[in-house]
Amino acid sequence: MKKILYGTAYSFKEIKNSKIFYSFLIFALILISGSYFVSQTSFINQGRIMVDFSIFAISIFNIFIGIFIGASAVYDDIEKKSIFLTITRPLKRTEYLIGRFLGLAAAIIFSTVIMMLIFYAVLLIMHKFIVPVGYSAGNVKDKFTFYSLPQPLIIQALFIITESIFIASAALLFSLITSKALASIFAILVFFIGNVSGRMNDLIMPVKKIINGKIVIVHQANHILAAIVHFIYTVLPNFSIFNISSEAAYKVNISAGAIFYRIIYGLSYTVLLFVISSLIFAGKDIS
Amino acid sequence: MKGIMIELKNVTKYFRVGFFGTKKNAVENLSLSIEEGKVTGFFGPNGAGKSTTIKMIVGLINPSDGGIKINGYDASDYRARLKLGYLPENPSFPRGLKGIEIINYYSKLLDKRINKDEIYDALKLAGIFYAKNIQANKYSKGMTQRLALAVSILGDPEILIFDEPLSGLDPIGRKEFKDIIFKLKERKKTIFFSSHVLADSKELCDSIAVLVNGRLIKNKDVADIEKEAEGYAEKKKDYRLPAEYSTPLEIYLYDLMLKNRKN
Repeated sequence: MKKILYGTAYSFKEIKNSKIFYSFLIFALILISGSYFVSQTSFINQGRIMVDFSIFAISIFNIFIGIFIGASAVYDDIEKKSIFLTITRPLKRTEYLIGRFLGLAAAIIFSTVIMMLIFYAVLLIMHKFIVPVGYSAGNVKDKFTFYSLPQPLIIQALFIITESIFIASAALLFSLITSKALASIFAILVFFIGNVSGRMNDLIMPVKKIINGKIVIVHQANHILAAIVHFIYTVLPNFSIFNISSEAAYKVNISAGAIFYRIIYGLSYTVLLFVISSLIFAGKDIS
Repeated sequence: MKGIMIELKNVTKYFRVGFFGTKKNAVENLSLSIEEGKVTGFFGPNGAGKSTTIKMIVGLINPSDGGIKINGYDASDYRARLKLGYLPENPSFPRGLKGIEIINYYSKLLDKRINKDEIYDALKLAGIFYAKNIQANKYSKGMTQRLALAVSILGDPEILIFDEPLSGLDPIGRKEFKDIIFKLKERKKTIFFSSHVLADSKELCDSIAVLVNGRLIKNKDVADIEKEAEGYAEKKKDYRLPAEYSTPLEIYLYDLMLKNRKN
């Protein structure tokens, strides 16, 4: 356990110092800060536009961090041979991999928190979309109001973390069986398909109408096509459940059950992919 | 007879190459025992399978056939590496971390507590203490090699495995590195190092193993091989010396590799 924790800290430090991590973080921060100017293009719902734009930036850059750093974390260690000194210590390969992955997860959490803090600061300055949560009792002069982000925005940040760690585990798995570039492409494909598979599945559902009191199928997609889409929908993870930007934009609170279910869904897939990665890594020749 | 620290029994390693995954042997039916407290040189031309053998010993790659035991443990078991230090060929470290941060991390991966003085001693012995606060990606090749050496000797391991420790170093660096190996030899460490530089053989080793085309063609004490080499030199009086070899031992090893490489 101690070795895993040291591995996590070392991995986090290494990722934090990497150029790719900084580039994504800085890019995201520029976009979040720039969301104000984008919102000025509209006369109505400027707050909503800011939220939509910023959440998109936070989400996409964390996904990028998950994919590109996930695909390179172990792959680069092997390519640059820096792994040689690590796993020839009295350390199990699984311990090394857990440390590496937790370091990556910590980096994703770190970047999300930084981005959300900047986003919060922008909203605070603009005095939009923030909610007062309390003020001190006592003298009226001493009163101060603390502003928080609305619940759906905080939950959205939690979902972005879950989703990014999840896609990082997929990128890590692919990087153990193929090249870094291909691993990144496969992870992007999984993410893309996982985002649209739900909608595709809805589209191939038979269109039914009630005619003369009876339910009649008026349109049905090709059976083979329907089977393929349904198979993809069932096998590949559904990433669209982590996107609650509409709820966030309209400040619709998310129920505890939905939050719990979606986080467990993401974590289960992450653990599954990580276990497969561990099994592959345990038998891998590192040369 | 001293104890056996590393034992390879009928080890074969093949890699699959080409579109159809044809098997190609890198190491073939290799049996070798490394005795405690001895310095064993592992010589052979480039591509002989020296690095592959070393990687199998330290658990980086798995043998296709046969078994490797270190201190009684299978090489794939992490306990086999409890008393083992490994210096890879062309080591490298992650960007953005200082030498001291790197060695601190590796000290935590050992199963015993390493204090600051021990870390400093390892850095001093490897001759890199002065650069401990510099980021490792700014190190020269020699400095990186020294930091990796410091990492490998951390925790005072009984077995040290060096893969081409002198390659790419300048003459001063080579001399200093050899001095470090001598110091470790004085401490009765079991050292197994690979090299293709024959001049290192007599100077550093107690015994020599020669690998060509993945097959072990010689494994004897230096004294025995020297006798063979002298006999060989007498028989073959008309030979022309390759410019870089001066002693009968070097010429003998050179001819041995040359003959077997073509078979």
